[in-house]
Amino acid sequence: MSQLPLRGWSRLLARRDIGILLLIAVTTAVVGFMDSRFISLDVWLGIFIRSAPTMIVACGVMAVILTGEIDISAGSLMALLAAVMGLLISQSKAALSLWIGIPAVLALGTAIGTGTGLLVSYGRVPSLVATLGLMTALRGLTTIVMGGKNIDGLPPALQDAAKRGWFGVPVSVWVASLVVLMTSLLFYRMPLGRRIYAAGSSPASARAAGLHIQRIQVFTFAWAGFLTAVATLVDVPRLPWIESGIGSDLELLVITCVVVGGVSISGGRGDLSSVLAAVVLMTMIRPVLTFLDVGEMGEKWTRAIQGVFILLAVIADQISIRFLWRKSAKVRR
Amino acid sequence: MEAGSHSNRPLIEIRGICKSYTGVVALSDVSLSLMPGEVHALCGENGAGKSTLIKLLAGTVRPDSGSISCLNESLSHEVLLSGSVKAAEDAGIAVMHQESTAFPDLNAVDNIYVGRELTVGYGLLLNRSEMRRRTHELLHRLGEHFSIDRPLRELSLAQRQMVALARALSLKCRLLIMDEPTASLSMRETQRLMLLVRQLRSDGICVLYVSHRLEEVFELSDRITVLRDGRLVSTRPTTEVTRTSLIHEMVGRDLETLHGVSKSESITAGADSHTGLAAGRATGTAIELTGLTRIGVFEDISLSVRAGEIVGLSGLVGAGRSEIARAIFGIDPCDFGSISISGKTLNRWTTGDMINAGVAFVPEDRQHEGLVLQMSVADNILMTNYKHVTRTGFISARAAHQLVDDQVKRFQIRAASSGLMVEFLSGGNQQKVVLGKWLAGRPRVLILDEPTRGVDVGAKHQIHELIEQLAGEGLAVLLISSELPELLRLSHRLIVIREGRIAGEFASGNVSQEEILAISLPDAGRSAESRQ
Amino acid sequence: MTPAPDSDQSPVNRARFDQQSADQQQNSDSGPFRKSIFHDSGFRWWHEVAVFVLLVLVLMVAQELVPGFLNPRSQLLLSRHVWEMALISLGMMLIIITAGIDLSVGSTMGLCAVAFGVSFEMTSSILLSCLFCVLTGFGCGALNGALISRWRLHPLIVTLATYAAYRGIAEGWSQGHSWSGFGASFSQLSRGRLLGIPYPGLTFFALTVIAAIVLWKTPAGKHLSAMGYNEKAARFSGIRVDLNRFLLFCISGTLSGLAAVFYVARFDTAKADAGEGFELDAITAVVAGGTSIFGGRGNVIGTILGLLLIHETRQFVGRYWGIEELKSIFVGGLLISFVLIYQFLRPSGQRV
Repeated sequence: MSQLPLRGWSRLLARRDIGILLLIAVTTAVVGFMDSRFISLDVWLGIFIRSAPTMIVACGVMAVILTGEIDISAGSLMALLAAVMGLLISQSKAALSLWIGIPAVLALGTAIGTGTGLLVSYGRVPSLVATLGLMTALRGLTTIVMGGKNIDGLPPALQDAAKRGWFGVPVSVWVASLVVLMTSLLFYRMPLGRRIYAAGSSPASARAAGLHIQRIQVFTFAWAGFLTAVATLVDVPRLPWIESGIGSDLELLVITCVVVGGVSISGGRGDLSSVLAAVVLMTMIRPVLTFLDVGEMGEKWTRAIQGVFILLAVIADQISIRFLWRKSAKVRR
Repeated sequence: MEAGSHSNRPLIEIRGICKSYTGVVALSDVSLSLMPGEVHALCGENGAGKSTLIKLLAGTVRPDSGSISCLNESLSHEVLLSGSVKAAEDAGIAVMHQESTAFPDLNAVDNIYVGRELTVGYGLLLNRSEMRRRTHELLHRLGEHFSIDRPLRELSLAQRQMVALARALSLKCRLLIMDEPTASLSMRETQRLMLLVRQLRSDGICVLYVSHRLEEVFELSDRITVLRDGRLVSTRPTTEVTRTSLIHEMVGRDLETLHGVSKSESITAGADSHTGLAAGRATGTAIELTGLTRIGVFEDISLSVRAGEIVGLSGLVGAGRSEIARAIFGIDPCDFGSISISGKTLNRWTTGDMINAGVAFVPEDRQHEGLVLQMSVADNILMTNYKHVTRTGFISARAAHQLVDDQVKRFQIRAASSGLMVEFLSGGNQQKVVLGKWLAGRPRVLILDEPTRGVDVGAKHQIHELIEQLAGEGLAVLLISSELPELLRLSHRLIVIREGRIAGEFASGNVSQEEILAISLPDAGRSAESRQ
Repeated sequence: MTPAPDSDQSPVNRARFDQQSADQQQNSDSGPFRKSIFHDSGFRWWHEVAVFVLLVLVLMVAQELVPGFLNPRSQLLLSRHVWEMALISLGMMLIIITAGIDLSVGSTMGLCAVAFGVSFEMTSSILLSCLFCVLTGFGCGALNGALISRWRLHPLIVTLATYAAYRGIAEGWSQGHSWSGFGASFSQLSRGRLLGIPYPGLTFFALTVIAAIVLWKTPAGKHLSAMGYNEKAARFSGIRVDLNRFLLFCISGTLSGLAAVFYVARFDTAKADAGEGFELDAITAVVAGGTSIFGGRGNVIGTILGLLLIHETRQFVGRYWGIEELKSIFVGGLLISFVLIYQFLRPSGQRV
């Protein structure tokens, strides 16, 4: 009776996360074969440290995309939050302001996310336009806030946590794990998460089921803003100083990961595990290029590879959807 | 009768309810009471007002006048329903929709429980095991054993239907409305569903059963209500109704009075069209379809329309009539088959090919497919006719004005100016704009999909006259309509589509509405098969 | 064709629609059509008038606060900055009219600039380099268009991907290298004037006139509008939606290539970072000029006014406060507020 086109092993292989993990494994094996230093704890810890902020932000942006909207302001938001954090807690009275500064940054991120959400849901501004405008505006604001100077002298405690962390693992990795745990709890174990999927899958049906789509949208944008703030707090102190260019192209990287992770841009479909795997895959590109000894020259291609990955991911989606559709149409009668 | 064992007070009382859309009456003065523990069948042709009644009960539409009230939980007094989805749900009214309102990306559990999830820990966490257990239970009760982890898009239509039913059941409803529940079910699944309905009845739940399959209606129901043209014809115990009397009541349409009118009209119209037909015979076949197939939608459709002939395409909603029309016009692709127009045979074609070959198509959904609502009357009419008003590639304002004015006059489109947005016209005038848009190009073949739906009586009459006039001028017309009297009045030949196939062909003079309806019903073919 | 279940088909939507049409009926008791402040008079230029008034206001304030702001010579001198963006806006306008979007224009410029540099290094012929540069733009646009129309992919996601890919290819290809020294005659291309207007400006005006004629005087213009308002109805009317969309992206890409030529000529430098951020400015100008981001409505006059508004606001902000970054805040804010205002002003039937 069932017309699922794939069964057993082929179904397992068709899963996006398994596919990406296989790709990671194959790449690792090939690069490791050419240079055995690639398969070492240090390299992989490095990859995880670099992927931590992307993972945190991706958890938020994924929620937005699941509702069928898009958020391309994450990078600029991170820059602004970094600047604000720097201003609040890098000056001399650090001990006190650390406890005010951190909540303030989190609150600011959440507030800006909520504002965007309100614009999109109740203001009916298309999310692309709203976040495109925000992207530039925030970038400009950041430079003004920083007054054209780089900020340094963050409290040592924060820098220590970001660089060395606990048990030799920087705090960003711990926090990323926590965020991933929370997000998977939200998506798969909480009513709200299921409603996010429902709202993206079919807004009309969601309305019929009595869901408040607008409130759900505001929440997802606020969640994205909050997580961007979290990522800022744990990742930016790693840097020697805060400059206005922080987070440039982060939004693109995050959307790439989400799309490559198989989240449908029209909403409702996508797994957290695939997105996380995609984050690792995307973060791997640069170290792999380094190890392949293409040097400076190869690293310049990172962005091009990212773009090609997005294209391949969407085209693959389209092909598989058509395939499924034809199959199900044939069996319907 | 089992209904008696529960209570003598009706569960739902509908009093004098009226509803009209853009001047077209969908329901007028319908009163109905539904008893607990009864299966109440609702019958009627397409457009009789069944779906409007369901929407009113479900609270998605508000009545213009009249009221719906419901007994409260303890059955002590009546509560007036305020006409919102929430109120209906609270009153225990659940709807299992025909086109299921489901989430294709979510699995069965989520589809059943989204919006009112079972939770633990102060409502924060989902009670997944309990939800899964209950889903299993519900589906088991429905006799289904598919994996509940698969997203709905991977399930068959029948399985999706079962999920929709499970959602309705999980609501702990007191009135369950089933709108064509067996439309996509196989024989075995249908049997199981019917068993379940009986079980629900014995639990004291009222089931409002809407179906075109009369066999099921007779097998299941305690009472039958017939709607026709938005009016209540009768509510009677099933034992007092026979298949013939039911079909007669569904079709009825004041056979005496209306017949008289159409007779006198058809004399003049008939004379016109017969001369047209004679002229048509001379020019031969205008369009011929050979073995047109779209897998899963329709199969092996072969028919031809001569110039000057009106061929009616009849069938129930969802039988595949509109899909055939769309495929002919190149909107949807075909898997097999060919079309020949005036002797030229095409195996693959696009919409542009069809327009160039002289085919025009007035689609079913004029607001979304026929017109660009935000553009003016003139722009809409010109949309398909720019080749007639361009001079060396540029639009000649004079020629364009001329063409638009001609069409506005010809079809008596009532608009303040031709620069007015189509959105602000009435339904009838909008339809005239669509006709003007297509007929200005002097096509040879005209496909009309529900040309008079949502159109007021006056405009309807004008459109009918126009169709006959056009056929008289030698146009080949393929007319799709859900209104049998309209088809019988206008068309020379009638082709009945049932479940994507041609079920029969009649010359319209020697066939009655009853015969056509009987052959359109999905169980007609099945009972014929079983007799063989 | 579309695999996703059609949301229009759901009973709920129908029901809501019914409600709406019922409301419409109540309003239309007085006549065959509903009254509306926007369409009663048939005057459809409110948006352009509003932008014009705003522009005049900005200019007046600027003249008041920055002495000599309106001086024609300084205006012309500063206009150098606007022409490349103007060319790109023209293509962007056509795409947005059909309810699409092209985020890759800036990156296309970057790639084209690198293509220019590379071909100049190889051939040292300005003419060939220009040709190659424009051809690269065409190729970029054609790839976008092919992906979008052949696979029916979302323009947003495709051009977001090529936004990264084109810039990435430009970076990878040039390896941070920049080319310069193309000669004085070439830089004359951006500085030289005819009748006081720089050559890029002349090119822009010529193309604008062509676009205006196409939009107003040929069927194509109406076809584009129809596609933007209601793609389904456009298909039902036999408009070749996919082909048109493909051609539009080709045009947009070619214009980016052309803009890259002028950009390279202006700075006498071909580098991978050419045109960075241009996509946002172009979209803002087009949207501020009254082209609906939802498609359908849009015209050349509005786009020119929108361009001027953005340009003058930027100049004013830059010269009065002297802070470069304030400009981007203004541009971003303008974009959001224009869409927000448009959403609340347009007649209810058009809301998405």
